[in-house]
Amino acid sequence: MMQASSIFDWLVTSPWANLMNGPEWAFPVVQSIHFIGFALSIGTVAIVDLRLLGIGMRRQTAAQLAADLAPWTVSGFAVMLITGFLMFSADAARYHVNPSFQFKMICLAAALLFHFTLHRKATGIPNSPLAAKLAGGVSLLLWTAVVAGGRMIAFV
Amino acid sequence: MVIHPLLEWIESTDLSTTIREGALPYPIIGGFHLLGIALFGGMILMTDLRLLGWAMQRRLVSDIVQQSRPWKRIGFVLVVATGLLLTWAEPLKLYRSPSFWVKMALLLLVGVHAMIFRRSVYANTAKLDEAITARAKWAAALSLVLWAGLIVSGRLIAFDA
Repeated sequence: MMQASSIFDWLVTSPWANLMNGPEWAFPVVQSIHFIGFALSIGTVAIVDLRLLGIGMRRQTAAQLAADLAPWTVSGFAVMLITGFLMFSADAARYHVNPSFQFKMICLAAALLFHFTLHRKATGIPNSPLAAKLAGGVSLLLWTAVVAGGRMIAFV
Repeated sequence: MVIHPLLEWIESTDLSTTIREGALPYPIIGGFHLLGIALFGGMILMTDLRLLGWAMQRRLVSDIVQQSRPWKRIGFVLVVATGLLLTWAEPLKLYRSPSFWVKMALLLLVGVHAMIFRRSVYANTAKLDEAITARAKWAAALSLVLWAGLIVSGRLIAFDA
């Protein structure tokens, strides 16, 4: 069996990690794409959340908005996860023990799970103000925690 | 030079020292800056994609532009306010950073973009519901480029040292 730390050691020496650690501009450029990816995904999730909370985009139903925005949200997720993995690979041995990183990953797992289960269900139920508001609020909170945890990685 | 003493004075203020040297203020303010970008940059992105005819095509342009406007304004205030605090914390470092000046130039262009296109595009959405003009598509494409540039140059500031 592989030891837990060895897979991270291996990641750091992977070709894509070498690329990330190669030219000076590689990391900031990938990080910028990471930002654009989560602006797209979290931004579109937030539009649905604000509708669920009943404080934005009220001329459409949450279900209509969710259906329209889903491809963009999922594309944003993909960009965010791929670039996130690349950045993680660049310094995996250090990131995986960083408390802020661990916090971020737990929140990310919870946010993604919530997004594709209860959140999706809540956008489909008409006339369910309490459940809808709860889903919108929890979603905003989880994604906020993901971003905040990410920002803290560099500082702990 | 009058600039340097001014920047040194800013760095010596309590507010600047607290943000720069405290453990929590800088990442927290930075976190809100990012959240502002995520929540409201996302809405600008969707508006631009709608104008280009790539997203939410079943919805009226006027619906999207009008309903997202208050949130974009709140987001703008959040991003600018946190951005000012972050700038206040390290004016000398930023003054020397080329990426910072690229970002400020792009920000200026965002203002110019608004002045050029506000009347014909963003305040003229009823017309765009009938057909999206070439001018509106230009406005959206330029807006996407400006926003991507803002994010990239902003991120590069940390790497200018």
